Amino acid sequence: PWPQERTLVAVKPDGVQRRLVGTVIQRFERRGFKLVGMKMLQAPESILAEHYRDLQRKPFYPALISYMSSGPVVAMVWEGPNVVHISRAMIGHTDSTEAAPGTIRGDFSVHISRNVIHASDSVDGAQREIELWFQSSELLNWADGGHHSSCYPA
Amino acid sequence: MICLVLTIFANLFPSAYSGVNERTFLAVKPDGVQRRLVGEIVRRFERKGFKLVALKLVQASEELLREHYVELREKPFYSRLVKYMSSGPVVAMVWQGLDVVHASRALIGATDPGDAMPGTIRGDFCMEVGKNVIHGSDSVESAHREIALWFREAELLCWEDSAGHWLYE
Repeated sequence: PWPQERTLVAVKPDGVQRRLVGTVIQRFERRGFKLVGMKMLQAPESILAEHYRDLQRKPFYPALISYMSSGPVVAMVWEGPNVVHISRAMIGHTDSTEAAPGTIRGDFSVHISRNVIHASDSVDGAQREIELWFQSSELLNWADGGHHSSCYPA
Repeated sequence: MICLVLTIFANLFPSAYSGVNERTFLAVKPDGVQRRLVGEIVRRFERKGFKLVALKLVQASEELLREHYVELREKPFYSRLVKYMSSGPVVAMVWQGLDVVHASRALIGATDPGDAMPGTIRGDFCMEVGKNVIHGSDSVESAHREIALWFREAELLCWEDSAGHWLYE
């Protein structure tokens, strides 16, 4: 069987306010990925500081933390083959003006500071982020009724 | 801070959970999650204008479900229903808005999909009553009870809805 990866995806406060949660979930479901964790929370600054630690010295860091803690976030864990790479393709370029139509940011965002969604940028990053945002008891292991034993083209 | 005060106020005076602050409990059942209908369902409630105040993916225990469905315990299908609902993932949600309990029931449609109108969730996506995709509280009292059963207070979020001005007079 194809190796299963997991990634963290989060709908940011602007995405929740604009009622884009269902649309985002639907895009990942329609792609065929499996939802193994999901919750809505007001992210504490402690989680956000750790999550964005690589951006700590950037000039936009304070505004980013302030914005991400300003309202509710929907955090999700999606599972599937190559899900980290594919999720990045699905959400599009970080700067929404560069994001292609058909991607989440390309379709729903106009400015880099309000770009609707986050997805892990590497397999290692995904594992780190999932452990940061979710307790292991919050991640479900369920048999996907639609999963076929062979992942190869017929 | 204002949110905290409002939350305390709402808990002290239950009638504060009326009007635009009315809340309901909804759950996408295992068949809805397996068929990847979660996004479609969330989208319908968002598009109507309701406000999402709590959301999580859980595998519910039989103990919790026996309590949830306690009013049906004399029914012949009770055990089977509890077993089915605990068999897989469920997406539990709390939605808030004007007359949300009644309006959610309208969005969901009749319990038997054969009677559910096109345009409703069950009318559009369900074939048989045993796999009817979603549960919604059937009264304001049931909603209070179900919300308290499925969610801790800290999981119910209070946030200012920027669309409120365009949804209510």
